[in-house]
Amino acid sequence: MERITRCKIGGLGIIILLAICFLFPLPVKAAEPYHLGVVLGLTGTGAMYSRDGKNAIEMAIEEINKEGGFLKKHPIKLFIRDDQTKPDIGVREAKDLILREKVKCILGTYSSAVGLAVEDVCYEYKVLHIPAISNTEAMTVDNYSPYTYQVVPNTYMQAMGQVIGISKYAKQKGWKSFASIGSDYEWGHSTVNYFVDNMKKALPEFKLAKQYWPKLGETEFSSYITAVIGDKPDFVYAALASKDNIAWMKQAKPYGFFDKFPYACLISVTEMVEMKDELPRGVIGETRAPFFAHLDIPMMANFIKNYRAKYNEYPSDWAVMEYDAVYALKQGVEKAKSIDIEKVKNGLKGLTVNTTRGKLYFRKIDNMLNCQSYIGIIADDPKYPFPIYKDLVIITGEESWRPESEVPGVREKSGLAKKRKPEELKF
Amino acid sequence: MTGSQIFSQFLSGVSRGMILFFISSGLTLIFGVMNILNFAHASFWLVGAYFTWTFWKIFYSPAFGLWISIPLAALTMAGIGWIIEVILIRRVYERSLPEQLLLTYALVLVIGDVIKLTWGVEDRIVTRPKGMDGFINIFGAPFPTYYIFVIGLGGFVAWGLWWLLHKTKFGRTVRASVFSREMVGALGIPVHRIYAGVFALSLFIAGLAGGVQAPISSITLGMDMSIIVECFAVVVIGGFGSLPGALVGSLIVGLVYAFAILIIPKMALVLIFVVTAIVLIVRPWGLFGTPMRA
Amino acid sequence: MLKLVVFRSYGWLILAVAASIVLPMVVGVFWVHVLTEILIMGLFATSFNLLFGYMGQLSFGQAAYYGIGAYTTALMITKASIPLPICMITSILLAGICALIFGYFCVRLIGIYFAILTMAFGQLVFYIIFQWYGFTGGDNGIQGIPVPLLLQDPYVYYYFTLAVVIAALIVMWFIINSPFGYTMRAIRDNSNRTRFIGINIRQYMLINFVISGMFAGLAGSLWAPFNRSIAPDLANWGHSGIPVFMAVIGGPLGFFGPLVGSVVYTFLSAFVTGFTEYWPIIIGIIIILIVLFLPGGILGTLQQKTQPAEINNSKKETG
Repeated sequence: MERITRCKIGGLGIIILLAICFLFPLPVKAAEPYHLGVVLGLTGTGAMYSRDGKNAIEMAIEEINKEGGFLKKHPIKLFIRDDQTKPDIGVREAKDLILREKVKCILGTYSSAVGLAVEDVCYEYKVLHIPAISNTEAMTVDNYSPYTYQVVPNTYMQAMGQVIGISKYAKQKGWKSFASIGSDYEWGHSTVNYFVDNMKKALPEFKLAKQYWPKLGETEFSSYITAVIGDKPDFVYAALASKDNIAWMKQAKPYGFFDKFPYACLISVTEMVEMKDELPRGVIGETRAPFFAHLDIPMMANFIKNYRAKYNEYPSDWAVMEYDAVYALKQGVEKAKSIDIEKVKNGLKGLTVNTTRGKLYFRKIDNMLNCQSYIGIIADDPKYPFPIYKDLVIITGEESWRPESEVPGVREKSGLAKKRKPEELKF
Repeated sequence: MTGSQIFSQFLSGVSRGMILFFISSGLTLIFGVMNILNFAHASFWLVGAYFTWTFWKIFYSPAFGLWISIPLAALTMAGIGWIIEVILIRRVYERSLPEQLLLTYALVLVIGDVIKLTWGVEDRIVTRPKGMDGFINIFGAPFPTYYIFVIGLGGFVAWGLWWLLHKTKFGRTVRASVFSREMVGALGIPVHRIYAGVFALSLFIAGLAGGVQAPISSITLGMDMSIIVECFAVVVIGGFGSLPGALVGSLIVGLVYAFAILIIPKMALVLIFVVTAIVLIVRPWGLFGTPMRA
Repeated sequence: MLKLVVFRSYGWLILAVAASIVLPMVVGVFWVHVLTEILIMGLFATSFNLLFGYMGQLSFGQAAYYGIGAYTTALMITKASIPLPICMITSILLAGICALIFGYFCVRLIGIYFAILTMAFGQLVFYIIFQWYGFTGGDNGIQGIPVPLLLQDPYVYYYFTLAVVIAALIVMWFIINSPFGYTMRAIRDNSNRTRFIGINIRQYMLINFVISGMFAGLAGSLWAPFNRSIAPDLANWGHSGIPVFMAVIGGPLGFFGPLVGSVVYTFLSAFVTGFTEYWPIIIGIIIILIVLFLPGGILGTLQQKTQPAEINNSKKETG
């Protein structure tokens, strides 16, 4: 009796498993709809940024589908996955999207580590990839892939932007020494290192005195705050992960930290809105795509209007960039007059696209958009219920990206030639 | 390093330790009385912080909002603690250690998503009450007034727990049931209610801790995962089941961290793990625990 | 009677092996990836179960050896282009050495202290990998791990993994059913009595710990080329929880329990993440339900339902 029951259960189980597996590889549809994948860190440290990115993408897809989709005949079908801010989950989800849902392009990733992992998956399976929030320079320079196009200023550009902006102040005010505090992970390290190296070249008399590396996800900064106060630097440079930065600023303010020390860090629209009461006025912020910097561009003005109508909030930098990513893809499809991946990939090469941030182009050697970095001083503005930048300084892509002559050297060091075909590395 | 710098680091280490003490005290209490290591304790702490934010939003008032929200959040957590003990924890007292650990670990996952579903993924900010958002100078070193409140409250909680356990009937019964559960039951005292009470009390303190934490940093998902590991270190160093141990252990971990970041900046956390491992190897029951209470 | 018993146990096995050979030919390539993952994680979980089900101790730090295996293979392939078989053997050895060093201290403890010490060592490994960017790439991990030309096809890699995993399982089966394995069970059931008959418990536990670590390292070395990318999170305590879940879901007292658990867990996670981001609460509730109502896991419960009462009572679980 038992044997029969067990065999029955087992047989049933196997039949169910097989049935499910048969159901899932659906017959390939005719190339009509465009399958677009999104992989974002919807859980994890970047959940807020990812959520904004997701919202902007959904809005962009709605707008394009209202006209019939890409080339007015390919409606876009969106597939959104959470990579949990973990590279191996990102790889699994990207593979899932490519193999099961047959996406032609993957947008997003918040974390740079996941971005790099997904970049390689997209390269292996020959699928387009537009990161839009992850911005490590490694994705376009060290680990360049012909299938990856970047629309957010990378870590090098952002650090360079700060060097240009801050060396002006340093010269003016005669600063001699500075301390750095960076979250102990790749983005934190590469950002601080780029800043320090380029500042050495720009203003050699401005010296780095001390470096601090709180762990990623640190919530208790008092020991670091007191240490920096003890060092008495002329200026403090910070590259802390978004949530950590908020905690840091919140905790440092009661020490009177920001009255004592000039301070610079990444402050995106998200932080401006979230910390509107607590954000110390007078700190030097830098960000990647603030909406208020381009109110004169019609595409941006429309975007703000529609985004506010749909989501009841101002679009953050992350929303702006993912929106631009979708529209860059759209223009690539239009240039190629086809949704075929290879044709779109070639169409995007060196292409000039209309974005909410202006008319920008992709540099051929690394597929990097010549997008701007924005520096300003946090101050209140009567138009908005939160502080924004005043004395806005906009640094162009050409001023801040790594010079083309240096790129091959970096790629040799990273051993890129082992991972890519030689014709893909010729420009 | 000047004297006031050292003192400054010392104070920051003490306040860091106090926050750890709030969470670890409940953790060690549950282990001491019920022999269960509650992986989810920091998650309850985080829920307490989120509740504080909710109440603070409702009773919005820059001067008093926080003083109302913190006790309310703590009471809510106590209620939730009672319910969870009755529904879940009670069922695994007789079970093996791995099953108990798995249950509380699974709770961590569940609570994490419950927080996400209830409060969303945005960071939540609670501002410090007026009058506590500045700093005072102690021996030339600036120190935020809010942290003085944290240290004071920590001391009060420590004293309160001692008083509860040593000077009240409830406390005496709790200590007796640690010694011999059967005897207490044989005396006709409802042991299961004692356990529920202890669990609720631990979660009350966790909720209090969450409320106290709320104005310090932003309230975000994932905070529980990083702090629970430090709490384990505290409980190991101090000794499982010992409240004085939790206090001393918290201060040690807080101070080691505060000074380690000055001397060996990137290895501060690794140092804590090394210390934990050494304690487990050399004296597993920690500074104040009873030997081999496994 | 004997023939029936033999067929009862081995019939399942034959069915499972046949399915594992035939399935890839009928399902889509995505599911072949999932099947490969099931095998690798199943190996990891079975290695964990050597400590859990057969020795009675809960280790919350096995991901350290898995991570060491994965990183050793990844680093050797990417930095020095060493052939895969040598990488795998080195991974096994390094994971074993690490298990020897950590295990030396861990086996002096039992119960909760054992669990926490294994966790502390696991976190140590995690933080070292995380901090050492120069060498391990830090939190970026290692991307684009090159796979030998022969194994680049996912189908070929699947059968390669299947062969390696079956070989490893056979080895573990022999270990468990050897006198050594029975000593393990004796230590699990009553360590005092075992000590009284003159067995050096710590030595046996240490050997078992090293074996478990070595197989975990093997699983990691299979994972790195498969996923083409690894990150420090592989060594984190959260990742250590996955083989624990698998062993508990499938049933820690049976040899194939962890493998069954891997099938259920991996399949579910691939399936569920397709339509919701709330995977943690789902697996959390499943684990809670299993702990409360199905203590022997799937295999344990099946065994109870289909075996006569006397055999049932003698298999009371102690953990």
